[in-house]
Amino acid sequence: MESASFPVKASVRTGLHRLWDKFYLWFFSQSFSWILVLMVSFPYRKRMSHDNGIGGTGQVTMVKDQKFPAHPFFAPGKVYPARIRHASATFLDDAMNCIRSMSIKFSDHHFKSPFDIEMNSGEISLFWSAYSFVQFAKLRKEKYGVEYIEYYKKYPEGLKGAEEALRRNPSSFENLRYYCKTPFLFIGEDQIKRYAKYRVRPFNDEPETGINKDMDPVDVGNQRVLPHETRGRNYLKYEYEDRVRRQGAKYLMQIQTRIAQDDDDPEIFNNMIPWDEESHPWHDLAILEIDKTLDWKESTLTSFSLNHMPKTLGIIPAKSIYDYNSLNYLRSHSEKARLARLFSYKVFGFPKEIPNNDIRNSGDWSMIQREKVSNLSRG
Amino acid sequence: MSLFPPGATEEDLERVYQSAHKETKIGFTDQGRFFGPHMKNINHLEVGISRVIDSKFTWVVEYLLDKFEKFTIWLKKINRKIFPRRMVIHGKERDSYITAKLTFAKRDDYAKPLHHMPVLFWAKTFFGGWRLLAQGFSDRDGMVRLEFDYLESRRYRYRSFHFEICQLTHVFFHEENPNGKAELEVFERIKISKSDLTGMGYNLGNIQVFYWEYRRDVQMPRVVIKDHDEDSPEYYSDGRNRAIKEQFIPIELTKKKHLLQIKLDPESISIPSIQADYPKNLTVAMEEKLPYSTRCDYWFGRRTMNGMNAATFIPDPLEPERFWVKYFGACTYEVNDEYAFPTVEIKFHIPSDQFPIPEQIITTGPVSSHEKDQFIRKSFTPQDGDQWEQAKRVARVSGALCAELDDHFAATHVNTEQFAIAARRNLRKNPLTILLFPHLKEVSLINHSADTILIGPGYIPRASALTAKGIVKRCEDMMGVLDWKNWRPMEILSPKHTYAQAENLFWEVVGEFVEDFFQKNEKKILEEWYEVFRFSEDLVQNSAEVFHHSIHSKPLSSEEKEREESRIAYYHERYRFDPYLPREEFQGKVRAMSPITKNPFQPDPGDMDNLKDACKYAIMMATFMHTWVNEHQYEDIGEVLYCSLGLRFGEHKEGIFRPESDYAISPDLTRATQMMWFSNLLSRTEYGFITRNEEHDIDPLFSEMLERKRAEFKNLYIEIDNIESRTNI
Repeated sequence: MESASFPVKASVRTGLHRLWDKFYLWFFSQSFSWILVLMVSFPYRKRMSHDNGIGGTGQVTMVKDQKFPAHPFFAPGKVYPARIRHASATFLDDAMNCIRSMSIKFSDHHFKSPFDIEMNSGEISLFWSAYSFVQFAKLRKEKYGVEYIEYYKKYPEGLKGAEEALRRNPSSFENLRYYCKTPFLFIGEDQIKRYAKYRVRPFNDEPETGINKDMDPVDVGNQRVLPHETRGRNYLKYEYEDRVRRQGAKYLMQIQTRIAQDDDDPEIFNNMIPWDEESHPWHDLAILEIDKTLDWKESTLTSFSLNHMPKTLGIIPAKSIYDYNSLNYLRSHSEKARLARLFSYKVFGFPKEIPNNDIRNSGDWSMIQREKVSNLSRG
Repeated sequence: MSLFPPGATEEDLERVYQSAHKETKIGFTDQGRFFGPHMKNINHLEVGISRVIDSKFTWVVEYLLDKFEKFTIWLKKINRKIFPRRMVIHGKERDSYITAKLTFAKRDDYAKPLHHMPVLFWAKTFFGGWRLLAQGFSDRDGMVRLEFDYLESRRYRYRSFHFEICQLTHVFFHEENPNGKAELEVFERIKISKSDLTGMGYNLGNIQVFYWEYRRDVQMPRVVIKDHDEDSPEYYSDGRNRAIKEQFIPIELTKKKHLLQIKLDPESISIPSIQADYPKNLTVAMEEKLPYSTRCDYWFGRRTMNGMNAATFIPDPLEPERFWVKYFGACTYEVNDEYAFPTVEIKFHIPSDQFPIPEQIITTGPVSSHEKDQFIRKSFTPQDGDQWEQAKRVARVSGALCAELDDHFAATHVNTEQFAIAARRNLRKNPLTILLFPHLKEVSLINHSADTILIGPGYIPRASALTAKGIVKRCEDMMGVLDWKNWRPMEILSPKHTYAQAENLFWEVVGEFVEDFFQKNEKKILEEWYEVFRFSEDLVQNSAEVFHHSIHSKPLSSEEKEREESRIAYYHERYRFDPYLPREEFQGKVRAMSPITKNPFQPDPGDMDNLKDACKYAIMMATFMHTWVNEHQYEDIGEVLYCSLGLRFGEHKEGIFRPESDYAISPDLTRATQMMWFSNLLSRTEYGFITRNEEHDIDPLFSEMLERKRAEFKNLYIEIDNIESRTNI
């Protein structure tokens, strides 16, 4: 019988390739975050995209009747202080057709936290890997509230993602659905390796508003406010402020898990392909209650990081910039940009609040900072 | 005047004919000389002075340029050998894709999907190698989705990516492909930057391909050719270009010499000297052997029946054995003031087993510069002496122009082109490509050349009554009586009607060949029926308006109405157009071509027979019908005084009814040499024959079937080796 020989040469070659791919991913992510630091965060005191937002505080309580695999961090009935931030990306006008976001932190500190998660509206995304994100950024070409025209033309999935994720004039941040899309690690008490996705919906499950129906693909890039729009630039933030003051905001956080297999199809990490809900149902994870909104300064200060996670719930390692998990890798490596922004507040002061004026369809952050407006006209 | 030359009999005349025919048979022997004049290709021919290279300096530059071009071709060949484009797909996964929607590109066509186009997706390495990542076809809606291995495309070795839209070009029959194989050629290549491929899908968007687009400046199906050398839907084969270089330069030089003589010393040149400078044609050779042999009534009847014109004989309703041949002249088409183009009606007596004997010639329309009434009629009989002779010449000339424009240009060239465009636009996966493409190739190119050489500012508007506008309008009208449905070969009137016998015999061969092809390929034809549907749709929607519909929609005087009704009836008979068939209407016009099928999914009862008939018709027109009229030009319009394409009104009251010696009614010297050049060009430069199969593009079975009938064709004065496989001159 012929003995099976180990393919040393091929393995070494594959190993070297993988090493190079990993190095390149690291280098790519570092470069990207340094560019953010030097070109955006520090000089302009700006986030990459979600500047237009409002924060809130409250608490998060783990559900008692848990149907997902047990994890000590999510122990039934466990309560954490919570801070959230809702935002509209990337324009500084709530009445535009924007992606809406919700970031959650299991602490009431503006940065430190044992668990942060960042989510956007829509079940699928507009990009799917670090590499595709670069192309997405490159092809933004925003002008007067119209953007990504070329990107949507070139990338059908990007267009589909936008159609799914954009929300025009929702009645409240509270009644939207937010998804993390790219999965995370989940190693529970049974030590079985799993992957998990998270989402948030309103606790009372009221119907989602702001969904675009029958949008013409040609028009997806047009995010401008509707003609004769009466909603102001900050209407959604104001609504949220009033709502929380009046009745609070209550959400249900849910989780979807699946067991990791050796022969898993890489597509399971693809944020453009939702997991089948029949085989991987959503289970209730926690109830999130917000009873107070934060002022502009505190909302601006509040920042989130994917590095704020227990090791057993962290990001899934990525192999290359083309790997679907590279998106979370990139996010986790851009923490220095957040720190740079926080540092810039100390150096240059806090950025100005978005005025409630008639400059519509704008995403020009620096224009707001240059404006000389009486404090009386704000708020 | 007698039926035969004085003292001669039918046997004498036939003997003279056989001998002259042998003597003037076209041979293709001129190989040129090393330092002799050269010509690049047929696109460089002009009715004036063609771009022949005869200056030594230009020759040297051209020689060097030619060497350089050959060197670059050689380099490309080497490159292809070093970096072959192997059709092996690289990568294992199919996790990413490129997509596009292919449509035609013209303003009235850009929403029409380009279905079943072969597409390839290549990666090119840094060192120039090609790796195929995916291949496929566009679907019926023109949508392309080529799935490929994304991580394979991310390899560092790849520099760029190329999406290629291919077209089927030449069909070849080789030992390894006995059933024929259509070659793929890149029609459009789109480079994709490596950075654009980000995984998932990449959309190339709507790719509008300027692919065999219909012209809209004429009301007949013609293809747009932007530049015949650089940007054309197809190109001549090398063999075709070589043939023209080898065969035509001496003729071109003769014309050039004459044009210079006319310019510098017009006294030194005359019509007889022009005629003498060109190779002898049939009529010149016959006249040398037996004077009056080509001007006698016997020859007139013989050539009317079996010559270039191969006229249609309509039985006289009253007299038995009497038939009418009609050549409709200028009618309402735009004409100049210089040339006459009367309508000619000839009454023949066709006794059994005899050639037609002319009994009466009636002309209608202006025949002199003094009389411009378009309905003036003149009648001549053999008893009219000299005038009868002159009337026969007028009849020959009107017949020649009708044959040239109606039978040659419209009924074979443009008719074949309409099949070529529809086939190229729609047939790709269907085996009909193997059947039709070899016969439909290059016709669009030669028609494009004809636009300038013969029409546009070309020869015919200068040497005949019709203006360029008049020619185009006449051609549009003629296209309105051409349809494949219910077409049948010409009725055989007598054993002497050799043309009709040959037409029938060839139709039989084509029928057998097409039947055999369908038997072998029926399953695949059915599988790709959608292509047949689209082929039929394009054929119908782009065909010309039915002639009698266009005529009936115009206000006409009673005389005009009578003439047009006579024309309609004659044309229906001549082109075997069935006026009783229901016709499709498209964009407000009733279209001449009948649909092959109206079902995009499968043939309805009778559709398969329709398809066979349409294929037979297209092959028939491109081969036999064109060959006949084309190669007989040299015989019937190769002598200026015997028959030209136009007679000038001249200076006398009798107008065109003057003897041949009155050169004032013949074409002038320039037109005379151009005419000789023209008839030589068309008859001498044929290339691409069925039995010779120079390019291995003809189904060997077709050649074989024809070969079996060699003797029968020979008896009908037809050399099968001279039957072209395609219309390319």
